[in-house]
Amino acid sequence: MGIYKYLIVILVLIFPLSNQVYSRPISWSGGSTFMYKTDSMKSSYYYHYSPLYRYSLGIEYVNDRHFNDQYFNFRGTYLLDRKNTKSSQRNFYVIGGLSTKSSDNFMYGIQGDWETRRLYSAFLHTDQHTETRDYSESEIQFGIAPYLGEYDDLHSWIMVKAKKNTINSDWDVYPFIKFFKGDFLIELGTKNSHWDIHYMIRF
Amino acid sequence: MIKKLLPLVVLVSCNILAMDKMHEHKSLSNDEYKTITHSSDANNMFAEFTSSLSNMQIVVVDVNGMVCDFCARGIEKTFYNDNDVKKVKVSLEQGKVLIAYSLNKKVNLDEIKNIFLSNGQTATGIIIKNI
Repeated sequence: MGIYKYLIVILVLIFPLSNQVYSRPISWSGGSTFMYKTDSMKSSYYYHYSPLYRYSLGIEYVNDRHFNDQYFNFRGTYLLDRKNTKSSQRNFYVIGGLSTKSSDNFMYGIQGDWETRRLYSAFLHTDQHTETRDYSESEIQFGIAPYLGEYDDLHSWIMVKAKKNTINSDWDVYPFIKFFKGDFLIELGTKNSHWDIHYMIRF
Repeated sequence: MIKKLLPLVVLVSCNILAMDKMHEHKSLSNDEYKTITHSSDANNMFAEFTSSLSNMQIVVVDVNGMVCDFCARGIEKTFYNDNDVKKVKVSLEQGKVLIAYSLNKKVNLDEIKNIFLSNGQTATGIIIKNI
């Protein structure tokens, strides 16, 4: 295990369970992904498997601090459209999830991204339905890579994220950074003393 | 009620649509792949890749959509599942992947194309050189 893998594991262990982000909802055909996300409202542990590059199926454990609730989600993601060019890739996905809490807890939404080796942009919109309240979440991300790394290098991104849900109503805009090397990715952001963390391993 | 069923419909649709896509691949002739352009950087990459190899088939693939290291990890993993693959090199800068096969391997271009498709990229050109 290299120094970067140790670094990422340590970062995940020391940060508190608090927040969320989205990235790469489908792996390669036969690939698996484990994600940990935490933000000011909830934390989640999510494993998904991609039988084909077109879709993934997964299970997510959610600790919802806003509603003081814990539950599992069964989630699916389908790649609606992908466009590859020599210098870019663009994706659109549709996502859906059912909760073990009750039949009144479910979510669905859309997600998209466009990126080059230098620039990254993404959006996400979900409708969340719970027993107590329905709400929507939206998220937009933009990023730039300060240097162009080759395959197997440590890749770094400077990002800005805007998030909104209909409970809080206002947009939260804040910077974060993203690192990945090999099969490991981590995103770190902070706003109003809350950490926004996304950690991902592919295998 | 419709909203409650929507996530389930999405999951089922994913399976059906994905299975349909599996049968969309058409056969391609070797000539359709022979569109690779050669730059000095590409030649250098090839020379470096083959410097420690001999009696191999080197497959050079031009790839679209290979803009992210994290998203290209499956390429290496998938090719190394084949015992006839001895070495793989990915270059994000050049958008190329080099694969060294043993000489007894009958290289199937459609199979290679599908490996890239399954990983999310598009193979736009493939050539095979024996060394």
